[in-house]
Amino acid sequence: MTDLQGSILALIQSLLERSDKADITVALDTPIHGDGLGLDSLETAELSAMLEDEFGTDPFGEGLMPETVAEIVAFYSSAGESGASVPA
Amino acid sequence: MTDPRTVVVTGGSRGLGAGIVQSFLDSGDRVASCSRSSTPQVKEWEAEHPDRFLFVEADIADREQSTAFVKAVVAKWDSIDVLVNNAGVARDGILALLSDEDSDTVVDLNLKATIHLTKQVVRTMLARRSGRIVNISSITGLTGYRGLTVYGATKAAIDGFTRGLAREVGSRGITVNSIASGYLRTEMSHGLDEGQLNQIVRRTPAGRLGEPDDIARAVQFLVDERNDWLTGHVLVVDGGLTC
Repeated sequence: MTDLQGSILALIQSLLERSDKADITVALDTPIHGDGLGLDSLETAELSAMLEDEFGTDPFGEGLMPETVAEIVAFYSSAGESGASVPA
Repeated sequence: MTDPRTVVVTGGSRGLGAGIVQSFLDSGDRVASCSRSSTPQVKEWEAEHPDRFLFVEADIADREQSTAFVKAVVAKWDSIDVLVNNAGVARDGILALLSDEDSDTVVDLNLKATIHLTKQVVRTMLARRSGRIVNISSITGLTGYRGLTVYGATKAAIDGFTRGLAREVGSRGITVNSIASGYLRTEMSHGLDEGQLNQIVRRTPAGRLGEPDDIARAVQFLVDERNDWLTGHVLVVDGGLTC
């Protein structure tokens, strides 16, 4: 697991803990909504804000709607791969 | 004495906003404010409180400038505990003669800029699950006042915004309230002529126009950490004028 994957998983885990969903296991292929993490719209907004806090930008704020944890990771790794700096 | 909070007051360079900034500097908090241009009062605060007063020249009706302002506050102090949406503009004149430019100016600042700035700040509050938001509204949004139709419409809209947002974020330790201010002796009331002001005073049980401090004290009450059960409310502070 890369550092990026690890920090995103940790961030999601902390959100789940404070939402009393600590028993959910988070993996890269876990869906964010529904049977996966089961985030509601407010929890999704919190995740978006926490990601922006941590990384300076976030996929939801960019108009993307990632469906899985892996798609969130991909948003940041593609920003890195293309050589584009992550906007502050 | 509680820990200092980070307080954002929009439009804090003069008038009511300056009174609210002063109140939070007096209560030992860190205050960030913005307006389109600096004032001697702002320069004084910058000299007096270099560590806990931040001023950014910004027109928050411009979304880029508004975003830059919020980012500057978060970059300096990491989070925002209290947001006071005070920036506003009044253009008086009966609707039938009001220019479209004037009415756009009022809607753009009082309503659209408030929504945009609040969206950004509430995100930082959601990430930490705590916050206090106070929107400075007006009794003209509750009762209507001739010559202030568009202004009153934006303030009524802000009260609706207060209630909706209070419901959205209430479960996350964030409260959202409005203060419907009565007529103050500040520049904003300058559109009213002497006769209108005298009439207002005559009809006000408290027998005088309001002072910025009358509103600032109500703001301090609403943002008190212990007041976590008071949300979605429009608190009328008007000397009894509309009671």
